[in-house]
Amino acid sequence: MKIPLLEIEDLYARVGDKEIIKGFNLTINEGEVHAVMGPNGAGKSTLSYVLTGKPGYEIISGSVKFKGKDLLAMSPEERAREGVFLIMQYPVEIPGVPTSTFLKHSVNAVRKHHHLPELDTMEFIKLLREEGKKLGIDNEMLKRPVNVGFSGGEKKRMETFQMSILKPDFAILDEADSGLDIDALKVVADGVNALRNEKRSMLVITHYQRLLNYIVPDFVHVFADGHIVKSGDKNLALELEEKGYAEFVREK
Amino acid sequence: MANLVQDIKLIGNEILWFRQLRENGLEAFGRQGIPTAKTEAWKYTKPRNLNTDDFVIEFSLDEKNSCPKVPFDGYCICFSNGIFNPAQTKLPQGVEVLPLIEAVMFNSETRLFLGKLTDVEKYPFAALNSSYMNEGVFIRIDKNVSLKKPLVLINHTTSGNKNLFFNLRNLIVLEEGAEAEFVEYYTYSGDVKSRYFANVVNEVFIGRNSRLNHYKLQNEAFKSDHIALTTVQVKRDGEYNSFCLQKGADIGRNETRVILKEENARTNVDAAYIMNGWATLDTTTDVEHLAPYTYSGQLVKGVVGGDAKGVFQGKIHIAPHAVKTEGRQLHKALLLTDTAEIDCKPELEIFADDVKCSHGAASGELDEEQLFYMQSRGIGREEAKQMLIDAYLDDVVNHIANEKIKSWFKENIQAK
Repeated sequence: MKIPLLEIEDLYARVGDKEIIKGFNLTINEGEVHAVMGPNGAGKSTLSYVLTGKPGYEIISGSVKFKGKDLLAMSPEERAREGVFLIMQYPVEIPGVPTSTFLKHSVNAVRKHHHLPELDTMEFIKLLREEGKKLGIDNEMLKRPVNVGFSGGEKKRMETFQMSILKPDFAILDEADSGLDIDALKVVADGVNALRNEKRSMLVITHYQRLLNYIVPDFVHVFADGHIVKSGDKNLALELEEKGYAEFVREK
Repeated sequence: MANLVQDIKLIGNEILWFRQLRENGLEAFGRQGIPTAKTEAWKYTKPRNLNTDDFVIEFSLDEKNSCPKVPFDGYCICFSNGIFNPAQTKLPQGVEVLPLIEAVMFNSETRLFLGKLTDVEKYPFAALNSSYMNEGVFIRIDKNVSLKKPLVLINHTTSGNKNLFFNLRNLIVLEEGAEAEFVEYYTYSGDVKSRYFANVVNEVFIGRNSRLNHYKLQNEAFKSDHIALTTVQVKRDGEYNSFCLQKGADIGRNETRVILKEENARTNVDAAYIMNGWATLDTTTDVEHLAPYTYSGQLVKGVVGGDAKGVFQGKIHIAPHAVKTEGRQLHKALLLTDTAEIDCKPELEIFADDVKCSHGAASGELDEEQLFYMQSRGIGREEAKQMLIDAYLDDVVNHIANEKIKSWFKENIQAK
């Protein structure tokens, strides 16, 4: 039996005066990977920010349930602690805050929420080493301030690394491949694929089909004018690659 | 207030030169009075009107008052409510620490230094302090003596509901080639709303090729006032470095005047302030380059929340013959609320050619993108803010050479 993890119903949202999400419906069950593809400016990133609760993104109507709970009523940190994770298109730099300090606060905030004891320094270092090895995150990177001076590839690797230590139930990948060369893309995709299992779900937001060669989705949705205009399996992505989005953009 | 001064029969008045210093202070204060908004040096910080507040001066030590601990090893000099508390640690060879009044009476050297740097005509609260001169400490470090542990002056206020007024007067003399660290720590216990007024004056003599690292933590009760003036004279190849963190008091002013008197004298005057509520915390500096090849650096950073006001007045003066000098100054502040205020007045007076001088000021707010990024990783918004505040003050705190003292300040930045 399929258990729904995320249920988005008839969602409308705006940024300032501009309505961007218009009647969006999507249910993601446990273990499923959905790709949302669409032309630039369709509101793909807005969707990721609405789901993670970024200030300035206002819900007009509709509902989003996560594990049956009202996601929209939660603060951004509550959503993260409940298991929502966003790999950002442009990860934010935080000068003065060492990456390891940042990660320790993050991991322990999530653990505390689940009534787990906080990790002590030794346990935490062990966790960082184990997961860091897979993604080429070394001690030197962890000492540096969060994302400061990181290359595009390093930033995305760091995002994937964070996901691998927080082990969220639901991950949103917002243009995870932007700015990556093919080798960096493979490292990130391998990291993401290693986390796929029958419980964990993902929403892969992308403009290009390229990423979906590496992170193969169960479902593909075409997103235009604020909502899903067509759904299919992974072959839909190939079709879009060939024909482009013109057909969908014209529809409106 | 002035009447009060005359009423008191202070010890030491039988020593003529000392009595003269007190009288000069009293007269100078009488001429100036409490600064008002029209007083240029005090245009952003309005001191309390002492006349209308019933302040009390105490002369006896509360024996029960114990000295708070600091989390590092040091030679502790304790004051309780501004009164010397004689329980102290053993001092190594080459260091002399005397209560001020004992120094005045029994150490003839005191006369050579006391009152020589403090300009009572320019600083009304220092004039007031001079008229009351009684409590404080005289520290002298002998030639080429290098102290392994810091000297730690702790003033612990337990005034309760008494409106105490106390004046501390400290005199620090480093002879040629001496090296030391000096920590000033002002704290309180008991009622957080207790009102008192600490008026502190330090005079620091840095001999040739000697160095003092001076740290101060002002953590007074939030209804109290703390006004302090430190005047420093640095001789050839000498170095005076200071860092002051102000986080307490209703009106707090930490004023530092450094006179770089001879060639190659150096100073770094750093400060940080962190505040909420309705406090005004003022950092005022005046660095005077009187000789060639002198250097000064000032880095002051503040975090202001609530309806509080941060003030920075920073002055660099370069005398006509002080060529090849360098003066750097930077003030940055983070405003946490719409009602927080920053007043910043950099002042450069450069009368020499061939000098390097710079100043800068900036203010900003917490970055919402950074906050959201941290929240999206599960970190609570308030915790995220505190992490960004710590990060903001990190560079100035990292100037502190002593690792243990550095961690002590970092803990104090984190603790509300």
